[in-house]
Amino acid sequence: MPGAPPPFIAIERVSKAFQADPRTPPIAVIDDISIAIDKGELVVFLGPSGCGKTTLMRIVGGLETATRGRVLIDGEAVSGPSRQKGMVFQSYSSFPWLNVIDNIRFGLKFRDDIDGAEKERLARHYLDLVGLKGFEGYYVNRISGGMRQRVAIARTLAAGPDVLLMDEPFGALDAQNRDFLQEQLDVIQRSEHKTIIFVTHDVEEAVFLADRIFIFSARPARILEEVRVCDVLPAERTLEHKDSEVFFKLRNRILGITRAQALRTEQIMMGATASS
Amino acid sequence: MTGNAPPPASSSTAAGAGSKPAPATIEAQSVAPPPTVWRQLVSFRGSTSRAVDLYVGIASFAALLALWVAATGYEWVKPQYLASPLGVVVRLYDLFAGVNVDHSFIWDIAISLYRVGVAFALSALLAIPLGILMSSYRIVNGISEPVVDFIRYLPVPALVPLTVIWLGIGETSKIALLWIGTFFQLVLLIADDARRVPREYVEIGMTMGAKPRSVLRHIILPAMLPSMVDNLRITLGWCWTYLIIAEIVASSSGIGYVIMSAKRYVKSDVIYGGVLTIGIIGLVSDQAIRWLHRRWFAYLR
Repeated sequence: MPGAPPPFIAIERVSKAFQADPRTPPIAVIDDISIAIDKGELVVFLGPSGCGKTTLMRIVGGLETATRGRVLIDGEAVSGPSRQKGMVFQSYSSFPWLNVIDNIRFGLKFRDDIDGAEKERLARHYLDLVGLKGFEGYYVNRISGGMRQRVAIARTLAAGPDVLLMDEPFGALDAQNRDFLQEQLDVIQRSEHKTIIFVTHDVEEAVFLADRIFIFSARPARILEEVRVCDVLPAERTLEHKDSEVFFKLRNRILGITRAQALRTEQIMMGATASS
Repeated sequence: MTGNAPPPASSSTAAGAGSKPAPATIEAQSVAPPPTVWRQLVSFRGSTSRAVDLYVGIASFAALLALWVAATGYEWVKPQYLASPLGVVVRLYDLFAGVNVDHSFIWDIAISLYRVGVAFALSALLAIPLGILMSSYRIVNGISEPVVDFIRYLPVPALVPLTVIWLGIGETSKIALLWIGTFFQLVLLIADDARRVPREYVEIGMTMGAKPRSVLRHIILPAMLPSMVDNLRITLGWCWTYLIIAEIVASSSGIGYVIMSAKRYVKSDVIYGGVLTIGIIGLVSDQAIRWLHRRWFAYLR
């Protein structure tokens, strides 16, 4: 498109197929997906488990390669993992042999753009930002799952990435912790101005966090629908928004789409079992 | 105070004799008696304190000792087959004092410790980097795994003649034998430890800008360390097995040699003394490493 500024992240006609065994045909996981993401946006990939949304995010992160198509970040093709693209995983997200502050310092360890004093300042800054002041010396096995995910977020932010890739980071947490962290992520997002891709199968989480939601189909993944949450909900959100009528309506509409998809996935799985 | 707490003693007496038995029965039903230590010990996957575990361990050892005393005291077994505990202690004292022999048993223990120490250190020093590289690079794994797997299955005693032909009967051949016995086992165990490091840890490192070298040093090594120390502890035990084989076949010193030469004169008390010494060294070193493990890796709990 001439005239329009290029998007910050451009996923261009990406397809991915896995071949577990050379004797069997490759399994298509992602089918020709194109997405454009602007700087500072929080985009959610929503879809059933095993649909390929995580794979697409990992391709953006350079942790996996696309079979066809490419991903551009700031005009440059992604060729591998780098400090530019930070990852937060659901489990094994922080290092058990390091305490909270050393886990956060780890994110700064390989930065050569700042000096030691600045690194220490940043480590404290991110410790504060995620509300873990006072827990510096705790080993991560001694703190709750929610705190562990906050450590992971602080460490990833400390590395100074342009893009934050979050793979169901709150999936293993209880409801209270999840609500709390969702709200915190919204605050962090606005103060840090990061571009975030957030993968989840939780519709409510998706609606609460997202500027835009991409609903993925069952495997092979295609985009069923793009939902512009930012058009109906304000950028700044609190838990009260979860009780609003707009929120309910949007959530229910998306649930309708995902339910139909889940049923289809199940049928595919059953078909696969029956034929094998 | 919770809602279903028992009423104070004074109020229940005040309520009168007629109503007293009823709350008492409810009380007896609602509070289960605390499980006894014995119940904890015999229940499936039960839990006890470390002190209880220690007492049970001591009791088990004491029972074994009592059985030994009884078997020799009542002569259920002839002395040339089973020496009495006291006889073994006396003989051990003679051995350490160097009575009737040219050197003290301490010297034999020292030389055995030296052989195990050098061989094991060499095994670990080579197996740790090779194992980690095997887990990191397909090419290293492809080249080494078939060779390692083949040698791993060779029975160590079968290699004794070869080590003697190649290296003579000096220290080198014994250390080589112990090294062969442990290195090839250890390298595969270490490679597995490194492979079991969660993929997420490695990927976190790579998205923090760490190069493979840094990932190895700052992520894989610390992540695998607890299980690696466990595997080193287990392999050290095997090293002692091979030591006795090496010392029995061709040696003029060491615990194994003392045991073997005692056989010639059917001095079973010396044999038991030697075996006991190895057992105690094994127990002490194993417990020492476990203790270090608990201290170093306290963060796992």
